[in-house]
Amino acid sequence: MSLLEKMDRAVYATGIDRLLFRKIKPHNLRWLPLFVLAALILGYWLMARTAGIADVRIMIPRLLGGWLVFYGAYLLAMFLRLFGPRMVSTPRQPLDEREAAIKARAGAMSGNILAIAVLGGCIYMSVAGLLGWWHPSRPIDWTNLGFGLQAGFLLLPTLIASWLQPVDDELE
Amino acid sequence: MLHNRIALFRAERGVSRRDLAEAVGVNNQTIGYLERGDYKPSLELAMKIAAYFGVSIELLFSFHPFESVADTLRRAAAVGE
Repeated sequence: MSLLEKMDRAVYATGIDRLLFRKIKPHNLRWLPLFVLAALILGYWLMARTAGIADVRIMIPRLLGGWLVFYGAYLLAMFLRLFGPRMVSTPRQPLDEREAAIKARAGAMSGNILAIAVLGGCIYMSVAGLLGWWHPSRPIDWTNLGFGLQAGFLLLPTLIASWLQPVDDELE
Repeated sequence: MLHNRIALFRAERGVSRRDLAEAVGVNNQTIGYLERGDYKPSLELAMKIAAYFGVSIELLFSFHPFESVADTLRRAAAVGE
């Protein structure tokens, strides 16, 4: 078997072609995005609580653990979009009117939720420093917060769209 | 509530959801949601489906529940007698 044949077989065996060409049947993901959001928050919290630890031998493993949870959830957030309700039009399969309507509603609702969350965060951080509460201070905290917001932007439309449409119907 | 007889027409003509979906330019799932009454189609889509089956839109969609096939046959038999 030639190298090209081996590569071709590997692509089919792993299902990469289905991912790339979006041949995956869309599913309603009503709970999985919530778990991923929880993992993002947990990972961020684990990383953020290393701020006051001076001992590197304790700080590094904790930071690494949080990093793995957070960025593992971040990667999952990117992939979940591919398996949830269809949000992206492809040349072979453009979004139909129902999918376009669901996408628009889910996008608008998640935009509102994120805007409110960011507003709440800004208000919290404006007083957190004065009251001595925790708030992002290190560059890594702000960077992770940015990635967390992006993951939320990826996850929320999938979550909301999954609740907006009825449960999956078995295809013929 | 918008009732429809898409599933009935589809079964009668032996058309799969996939075939109908491709003919009217929607996803297979959308046909499933339409048949179950979970989604109300746009006028354009409703007209495309009616045109596909070659019937008027009123035969396919109604604000009132359609009579069941069994009742229609029973009524037809009673008229014949």
